[in-house]
Amino acid sequence: MSNSSILVIGGGFSGLTAALEAAEVGHEVFIVEKMPYLGGRVAQLKHYFPKLCPPSCGLEINFQRIKNNPRVKHFTLAEVVSVSGGPGNYDVKIKISPRYVNNNCTACDKCVEVCPVERDSAYDFDLGKTKAVYRPHLMSFPMRYVIDDQVCEGSSCAKCVEACEYQAIDLEEKEKEITISVGSIVVATGWEPYDVSKLTNLGAGQISNVITNMQMERLAAPAGPTTGKIQRPSDGEEPKRIAFVQCAGSRDQNHLDYCSYICCMASLKHCTYIREQYPDAEVVIYYIDLRAPGRYEKFLNKIQQDEKVLMVKGKVAKIEEDSATGDVIVTAEDIMGGVKKEEKFNMVVLATGMQPSIAVNELALEVPKDEEGFITGGEDKGIFAVGCAKMPLDVMTSAETATGAALKAIQTVRR
Amino acid sequence: MSTRIEPNVQFIREMQAAGGESLKKCYQCATCSVICPLSPEEAPFPRKEMVWAQWGLKDKLVNDIDIWLCHNCGECSDNCPRGAKPGDLLAALRNMAYKSLSKPAIIGEWMSSAKYLPILFGIPAALFLIVWALTTGLTIPDGEIIFAKVYPTLQTIDPIFILTVLFVVFTFATSIKGMLSSFKANGLEPKEDSPSFFKSLIDVVKDEIISHRKFKDCESNKDRYPGHLLVFYGFIALAVVTGIIAFFYWTNKLFGFGMVTPLALWNPVKILANAGGIALIVGLVFMTRNRLNADPKKTINSFYDWYLIGVIWFVAVTGMLAQIFRLADAAAPAYIVYYLHLVSVFMLFAYLPWSKLAHLVYRTVALAYARQIGRKGLGE
Repeated sequence: MSNSSILVIGGGFSGLTAALEAAEVGHEVFIVEKMPYLGGRVAQLKHYFPKLCPPSCGLEINFQRIKNNPRVKHFTLAEVVSVSGGPGNYDVKIKISPRYVNNNCTACDKCVEVCPVERDSAYDFDLGKTKAVYRPHLMSFPMRYVIDDQVCEGSSCAKCVEACEYQAIDLEEKEKEITISVGSIVVATGWEPYDVSKLTNLGAGQISNVITNMQMERLAAPAGPTTGKIQRPSDGEEPKRIAFVQCAGSRDQNHLDYCSYICCMASLKHCTYIREQYPDAEVVIYYIDLRAPGRYEKFLNKIQQDEKVLMVKGKVAKIEEDSATGDVIVTAEDIMGGVKKEEKFNMVVLATGMQPSIAVNELALEVPKDEEGFITGGEDKGIFAVGCAKMPLDVMTSAETATGAALKAIQTVRR
Repeated sequence: MSTRIEPNVQFIREMQAAGGESLKKCYQCATCSVICPLSPEEAPFPRKEMVWAQWGLKDKLVNDIDIWLCHNCGECSDNCPRGAKPGDLLAALRNMAYKSLSKPAIIGEWMSSAKYLPILFGIPAALFLIVWALTTGLTIPDGEIIFAKVYPTLQTIDPIFILTVLFVVFTFATSIKGMLSSFKANGLEPKEDSPSFFKSLIDVVKDEIISHRKFKDCESNKDRYPGHLLVFYGFIALAVVTGIIAFFYWTNKLFGFGMVTPLALWNPVKILANAGGIALIVGLVFMTRNRLNADPKKTINSFYDWYLIGVIWFVAVTGMLAQIFRLADAAAPAYIVYYLHLVSVFMLFAYLPWSKLAHLVYRTVALAYARQIGRKGLGE
């Protein structure tokens, strides 16, 4: 008799969707999430496709569904250590790192007020800072603070322990390991933004006013490090001329040898962020080919109406800093005009692609992958990849793959 | 307005055969044009050459000056996201230009593939064998080893090589004329205030060739620079030596003073000759190593590359060995190796306009013309 529980690795939009679809038809589901919060990449966005909703919209509903469904169990700061057994009967060992903050937390922020240590916020892609004890983000779920033990001074400081009225902080908390039994596994490990330090001709992440598309999301997000104001990281100036560099490290055999599907749309979306704040800002989008899948073409057409958004066919292959002004000098050939030009911008956004997370951090689960790290099989073993673990996708299509995988996972455990 | 493109498929295949085999992989992102430090602002290369090549636009490509502005550093191929190897395509187009510019075309055909090597070798091998038969009846002369005993300067070496040089000069004169008129046909004309061609030529030699400045401009070329520089100056040294020897041969003949070969080892001219020979060999080691270590994903080596490197090795090694055997008083090997040395020198010079070494002339002319019309790299 097979175990009817389902393990979902990854608590982003795909993982949440798969988990809820399975739980809502009666299956016990375990979500294992590496980060201290659920919601994954979507939580970091200002708006997401297809309807340009803020993430609070779609994620909030899913969090409600989790809260209301006792069959969904989720572990944050958790990673799969090993998987044994086979379809219908998997034993999964899970390591849970200490959060140092328990269920008593009411998110009152008193601990943050007294914490003496600052850290770069990885959630904000280092554009902002948090204290060593911090709330993962404004609407994080679970709404519990967390302590970064890499920087926390520990019991020698313990100011937060004193400040907390609810005895929510335990600096002595230790790593835990648990084992669960499941019949099927959904892999929703998602993606990492491609590492810009490898893009040596595009500044290698060393030019302060060259940001990535995900950093743009954080800059524009109302709860972001600048409370939603799009400004230059170097001096906080309002940018008047902004360039987008499409395919930064994508469709490139020296980097990611595939198209990440949504970066063109993301840059077009960023044009709406910019236009909202700066009616006169000039934007140039440098591209090889603009990809607007399906209905998204309408969105492309809308942005093309904007007279101050110029789209230039030609990849940017050189980016330099003008050290005197902090401006960025971009070199590209305008293929239609056949002219190679250096252009100056206040700020440049690299449209970097998605790399499967398990290509960066190995997953303790044997599953067939392609050269790039996207999962290509596993279904015969009751293992189903969804969302960007399978291929680069937008949120909507990721959710569709998740629903499909939930059904397949159910079929596996019912057999 | 729409233009109907007539792709010349045969031409595409020729380009692929001549070294541009990956040209179809290009998806026109223009990384290459940007990354190339020598590529100009207006109509930069090599992105446009890639699309012309894919479309088989022969007329555009055979008249293109930009293939000569390229110094084959490989930066474009290193950064190409598709492995389309634009650097190799431009090298292939130059190889094809050697074939099509220089007449008679049959030699170009022989130079384009390894299968014709027996002809290329056979011509000088037979020629110098006949000479040997006429002078000493294919025997090894007795006494002190003096190569002039088998190949007397006045009667054999001078007429053969003077004729060879005249042939090469004549070939180049006609092909350069064709080349310049093709640039003009492509709309590249000097402006009224442009410097003269001659002045541009002098400037190119002074500013670019002597220092190999453009060769150094790109990162990827770092390894190629010392090899090319050594071979270049090795040849210059040997050319100077040849000139001095020829001069004093005639002063000796006419006025009774000068130098008679073989020279003593301490003779400054002999020292220069040996220094040149060593520079040549060291440079060749660099070049060969770079070719062998080249990443096949970034560049491939064509027959043109190997022919030239091979023949220069042939020249350098036989030259050195002939001297060593002579000094060791090993008569038979000395004369035989000297014979091979003459064959190799003939193979280098007589076929020069059709070999990759023709870039020495064509690139220099094209660079001078580019300078005259003001075509230079962005930021140069």
